[in-house]
Amino acid sequence: MSLNSVTIVGGGMAGFTVAKELRSRGFEGVLTVVDPAGLPYDRPPLSKDYLLGKRGAEDIRFSPAAWFEEHKVDVVTGTATALRPDEGTVVLADGAELAADRIVLATGGHARRLAIPGGDLESVLELRTREDADRLRSLLTPGTRLAIVGAGLIGAEVASSALAFGAEVVLIDPVDPPLVPAVGPELARRLHDMHAEYGIKVVTGIPTAITADEAGHHIRMGEHGSIDADVVLVGIGIVPETALAESAGLDTDNGTLVDESQRTSHPRVYAAGDSARTRLADGTLLRRAEHWEHAMFAGETAAAALLEQDLPVHGASWFWSDRHGVHVEGVGSMAAEGTTIIREAAGKPAIALRVDPEGYLVGCAAIDGGLAVRAARRIIDRRILVDRDKLADPSIDLKKLAR
Amino acid sequence: MSDAINIGSVDDIDEGEAKVIPADENGTGEDIAVFHAEDGNFYALNDTCTHETASLADGWIEGVEVECPVHSAKFCLKTGEALCMPATIAARTHKVEVQDGEVLLYPNVPVEA
Repeated sequence: MSLNSVTIVGGGMAGFTVAKELRSRGFEGVLTVVDPAGLPYDRPPLSKDYLLGKRGAEDIRFSPAAWFEEHKVDVVTGTATALRPDEGTVVLADGAELAADRIVLATGGHARRLAIPGGDLESVLELRTREDADRLRSLLTPGTRLAIVGAGLIGAEVASSALAFGAEVVLIDPVDPPLVPAVGPELARRLHDMHAEYGIKVVTGIPTAITADEAGHHIRMGEHGSIDADVVLVGIGIVPETALAESAGLDTDNGTLVDESQRTSHPRVYAAGDSARTRLADGTLLRRAEHWEHAMFAGETAAAALLEQDLPVHGASWFWSDRHGVHVEGVGSMAAEGTTIIREAAGKPAIALRVDPEGYLVGCAAIDGGLAVRAARRIIDRRILVDRDKLADPSIDLKKLAR
Repeated sequence: MSDAINIGSVDDIDEGEAKVIPADENGTGEDIAVFHAEDGNFYALNDTCTHETASLADGWIEGVEVECPVHSAKFCLKTGEALCMPATIAARTHKVEVQDGEVLLYPNVPVEA
């Protein structure tokens, strides 16, 4: 059938990319993005420059309002509450209904709450939206006791940012060090140790309950006593937002299930980004990805599929994190079977290269090593077999090995 | 039209590499990166990525594109066009010529489309 209209639910990275790509690929029909926040914005700055006040709400928009007018992308500020996929209808909280030939679900996720007594307290914060960042910022003052549960990407970034407000930061994680699957044990150790070097108190343990009174919050740590804090932030991952898909009878399993064209189990509905999970033709479920670039790539794929164009080819996954003045990146998998080669800088592990048993590079992570990661990405994607000794030799530029 | 700056011999910048001409030397108030692209030609863009503070000269140069070393925004070296997110704003171009083996940069002279 010819495609005349598309409604995109969700204006995060995936949803915005679908709109942008549909237009750049020549789609001229009616295009609507529904999001409670209105104009789409980028989330990574929420734990860094936006939280710090260095960039404002307009600065983190994917595109200015004029872009949406120029490209005839209608942004509806509202919350989708139901789908009628057979009709292509999205129902909004205010009762309005949007009908289109195709629906794209780019609903993202919501922050996972701690499943402990007090984990549901309204005063226990999360960081997923601009409003969450505004609220957190309003509470950070010199001397504020901030306890962060979860030392993954968001927890570590907020811990670093909060120091700029003069906050006293406690960072709690059950694992020491966290991020080993993402960057390997060597870089994970260096990164986690940086928190203490910058004056953050790092606690390894599991909160068992949170209470709040006039004196603030008290995080019980089982046998290890209690941590007092004025502000508590929890960053322990997300739960994919699949309520719309489930209520409409689409297949879900820790994510809205899609094929490699981002098509759900209903022919009029596509899904992309954090909320979508790929099910291969043989039924194999892939791990759901939650990274920024993955959401962008999935949005590109959805747009191509909607227009029945060739699907773009994307290589190894990539992510970044910024904290304590260093830039961290990872590509591919540092947890894949194999061995790790470490390159050092100034006596510290700086680049980790994961090599599989056949000798192919399958993962790379680096601290302040952006070019190394870009080189590694090409070596991985092009299946270039590189000699281990050359990978290990710091005098050899990885860029030369990628060509 | 401003005067050209001789930034050195073509042999000073290897193919796939770039050189920064600092703001105080180029007179535009912004650092300029001169790239030796893989098509053999030289191109110049404002050095600072239009997304966040990062030096494009430190980026990954491939074909006639440069990829920012921090968040992987890509720019066309010929036109400055932002080719992918997170950048959405084009980088400013400056004309470059090669004469008698010397690379001449024309700060503030945009490349004609």
